[in-house]
Amino acid sequence: MYAQAFFVAVFGLAAIGFGVVVFRTSSMMRSALALLFSMTAVGCLFLAMQTEFLGVLQIMMMATEMSIMAIFMVMFMMDPGGLGGMDMSHQKRFSIGAGVSAAVVAIAVALLSDWGPAAEQVVDAQAQTRALGMELLGRSMMIFETAGITILTAMIAATAVSIPVKKLASKDGKEASE
Amino acid sequence: MTVAIVLLALLGSAWLLAVIEGWMATGRLSPAAPLFRGLAHLGRESIVPRSPDRVFFEAAPVLLLVVAVLGMAVLPLAPDLIIADLGTGALFVNAALAYVLVAVIMAGWGPDGAYGMIGGWRFLGQLIAYSMLIVMPITAVAMRAESLVNTAIVGSQAGLWNIVYQPLGFVLFYIAAMALAFRAPFDLPSAEGELGGGVDAEYTGVRLAVLRLARLTLVVTLASATTVFYLGGWHGPLLPPSAWSLIKTLAVAVSMLLVGHYLPRIREANLMRWCWVLGIPLALLNIIIVGLLILVVP
Repeated sequence: MYAQAFFVAVFGLAAIGFGVVVFRTSSMMRSALALLFSMTAVGCLFLAMQTEFLGVLQIMMMATEMSIMAIFMVMFMMDPGGLGGMDMSHQKRFSIGAGVSAAVVAIAVALLSDWGPAAEQVVDAQAQTRALGMELLGRSMMIFETAGITILTAMIAATAVSIPVKKLASKDGKEASE
Repeated sequence: MTVAIVLLALLGSAWLLAVIEGWMATGRLSPAAPLFRGLAHLGRESIVPRSPDRVFFEAAPVLLLVVAVLGMAVLPLAPDLIIADLGTGALFVNAALAYVLVAVIMAGWGPDGAYGMIGGWRFLGQLIAYSMLIVMPITAVAMRAESLVNTAIVGSQAGLWNIVYQPLGFVLFYIAAMALAFRAPFDLPSAEGELGGGVDAEYTGVRLAVLRLARLTLVVTLASATTVFYLGGWHGPLLPPSAWSLIKTLAVAVSMLLVGHYLPRIREANLMRWCWVLGIPLALLNIIIVGLLILVVP
């Protein structure tokens, strides 16, 4: 029990620490990978809380997602390496105010909520995975399928609008423009 | 004890692969060559390039090695010879291998060199495509075993190995494993002819030694995963279970080296097109076929 509390605290602090690094660095790569390791620490937090499937899934998904985000940040930002000394922050006072008040609310919720008794025993990882599978393919199937189809539609739409309209332009007798 | 045995098996297999790799490159079979090459790396100057991202530069080779070892930790050599028999073992293999991408991107970005960076970003495209061909065949394997536990997956192949039950999945997984280990003909991130070594280009001395060891270890881990998922793991006559696991793992790893030795490097555009246009539909077809087999054949 004490070991579990210790690891929950360690990974929780690691998640917060990497989260701070995200905003402390000017390098887009460092920022993206700090966010990745913050999310990985959250995954480890799940593992420490004995929700194995969610933990492993979180650790797996974040690696590719954050790497993709990194390349987009490098592509679109003016100073991806952070070597030019460019200040990319804005609305500082508002951001600090919003951040502090959100943190206060989160801590208040954590402290004031009635969390109920802590579970003394949890079912093993295999039973959890099975229960999750039954839930996903039963009661929650429509919700997840709808979300999946929506994301797929958005991906196809985004790809479609990013294809240059060369053919349409040449049909009108104009120069192809990109 | 188990940890020591598995790590020793991993190191021994990596050494054997290095010997065979040297044999194919030079034509001379020299069992001590990897040791001397390793020592030579340690003796050389370990150059730090100008204005590197030092954290990434230093962490990348170590992360790659850690990831390969973590992947191996959930793969069984025998029913009781496994470091951690997780309830989500098959998924954990994926999770560990996803960090190969992170390590290679860090190795590409860290040294502040053009070739390395191109190599790193190339691997991003390559892995996002081919990790689908890792995940989807494993899904079909887990479907047959009705479990994500790796020992249960091997147990489900007692009567019939998955290479026979789902050959399409095996072919896709084998190709994707080679792409993930970025061995020839999928070695675009470290292409010597066109990128001057790519992600390896800026590494020298002890850092290069760790990077080489990590890449060989990764091949062994992927070969072990192929053995567990498709070649019946420890199942086999006469010899003890762990011996069968090792023989099969080494056979798969050596076959990967041989395929790479005789095939030319694939063009980037073709590599991506084949995966997205052909590989992923085939992986979906494999899941459908396995699903039908499970429903129809008792």
